[in-house]
Amino acid sequence: MSIAIPSRGRRSRRRRTGPAVRIGTWLVWLFVAVDIGLLVWTFTSSLRGNNDIMNHPFGVPNSPKFGNYGKAVSDGGFGRAALNSVFTAVASSALVIALAAPCAYVLARRRTRTSSFLSMMFVLGLGVPLQVLVIPLFIGLSKVNLTDSLYGLILVYIGLAMPFTVYLLTGFFAGVPAVLEEAAVLDGAGPVRTFLSVIVPVARGGIITAFLLQIISAWNETLFALVLLHSQDKITLPVALVNFLSTEQYDGQDWGVLFAGVCIILAPMLALFSWLGSRIIQGMTVGIGK
Amino acid sequence: MTAQITQSPRIGKVRGDSPRRSRRSEAPLERLHRRTFWPFAAPALLFYIVLFIAPIAFAAYTSFYKWDGLSPMKDRGLNNYRILWLDPVFHTALTNTLKILIVGGVVTFAIALALTMVLREMNHRLFARSVLFFPTLVNAMVFGIAAGFLFSPSGPVDEVLHALGWQTPPQWLSTENIFPMVMGTLIWTSTGFYTAIIMAGVDQIPQYLYEAAELDGCNAWQRFRNVTLPMAWEVISVCAVLWTVSSVNIFQLILVFGGSNSNLPPANSWNTALYVYGEAFPQASAPELGLATAAAMVALLLVAVITVLLRRLMRRERIEY
Repeated sequence: MSIAIPSRGRRSRRRRTGPAVRIGTWLVWLFVAVDIGLLVWTFTSSLRGNNDIMNHPFGVPNSPKFGNYGKAVSDGGFGRAALNSVFTAVASSALVIALAAPCAYVLARRRTRTSSFLSMMFVLGLGVPLQVLVIPLFIGLSKVNLTDSLYGLILVYIGLAMPFTVYLLTGFFAGVPAVLEEAAVLDGAGPVRTFLSVIVPVARGGIITAFLLQIISAWNETLFALVLLHSQDKITLPVALVNFLSTEQYDGQDWGVLFAGVCIILAPMLALFSWLGSRIIQGMTVGIGK
Repeated sequence: MTAQITQSPRIGKVRGDSPRRSRRSEAPLERLHRRTFWPFAAPALLFYIVLFIAPIAFAAYTSFYKWDGLSPMKDRGLNNYRILWLDPVFHTALTNTLKILIVGGVVTFAIALALTMVLREMNHRLFARSVLFFPTLVNAMVFGIAAGFLFSPSGPVDEVLHALGWQTPPQWLSTENIFPMVMGTLIWTSTGFYTAIIMAGVDQIPQYLYEAAELDGCNAWQRFRNVTLPMAWEVISVCAVLWTVSSVNIFQLILVFGGSNSNLPPANSWNTALYVYGEAFPQASAPELGLATAAAMVALLLVAVITVLLRRLMRRERIEY
């Protein structure tokens, strides 16, 4: 790992460090090391037999048991659930962006009382605990036969994501200079054309960020999935994990398979984070802190 | 934060034109925005109203009735709230929610600020920040399951403690210890997120302020106290509001903590989210939807009150730099 390599550029910027700062630095690295250790341990445990894990919790797999993954996919239903999760996350994120982006754009541009009232209404939605929505949405969806359906879940995710996505995108669109649109309008482009071929390309970064953040939260969402989905072929990954935990209570724990299931939920997030980590952090920090 | 969002585009656009614009003299761009406003805003608004606003109204309405979801609703007036007021389980749930919000919040922010202070002056800070941030993207159930294994009786943690000479470590996962363990896990995993946000705010602070402070002989703590803290105050207060909302939403961490789940976890580890879930989707008895929505409304009220309080308490003069 690159921890041990001293970087030259920063040295000059470092100041006299007091003992408190030095201890703090060690604690930070300890914190980091434990986090990485836990991650590595989860992955190695997913490749080990149950007895092996119980006897030597921190051992290394001597012969990796990929069978754990096979078992998780077939017995635990993680395979089907993973497909459902991908479908739900991608569809809900794409739809919420398609709906929220035009709205955020006009909210950022128009400065009337109606416009600020609507922006305010979306922002207030950020403060609503999800437990308030869970019962009404369950009742409402069962009235239109959309419980135990991925389409119903996608609808719910669109609603839940609306306040944050509109809020985030309003911030991004506000940063797009109006000069660009002016040119397009003077050239005779219509509103839809102006939006799609001038604004969207310029604000592409913000839109991708909003899409990513929505993928992440839909992927991990548990409460609504648990309440709305039942059938084995409709569940998403978090529900599969909860179900697997309860069957294990009767059949005895098989930690290897359980950790394989955990890794199926974890790995895509890790991959996404290693690929687009700085964009995700920026979206969640600068976008929010604005 | 809301005021800023709605105002920032406004400032740039108050060019030469007079405040009273007649429609005839408006710029083509202006006209475009006026004409597209409703067509562009309506679809999102429709979804938001149907899937978000209407459910809140319905929850508020249901909270005054006794209802199991099947038979007709029976008017109960304020009785659901009276029942909650007297219910010891709800008391525990509300206390736990407040404990997470306040105790968990204070500890998380203290650690996040300390980390920010250290990270500012550290090599490889971006790498450390990324690692600490990653748990934000992980489903909280994963931590519950990992902790359930690591802290199981005579499990890995106990073994390490034995080796270090602590013969009788506490019963980590006994009923009365689950909630403190939940808090600990929560603090551990959410610190990175707030550290990253605060760091993003701290990075905007101009370097010369630190150089000036250093010339004046400030040590690391004084630099933090007199430069970082006041300059990053706005970001910290936004974080506090974020924490309020997200801490009330905690659900699956408590649900699976200790890996036991075919039944709900013991009632003394519940927060209001678990209470709502337990009353609305019970395993054995009839659902109490009125009571559950009343509990949810209390949670909503709690968030509203605390958010307003926080904004009041943390309001400072904006520092320009």
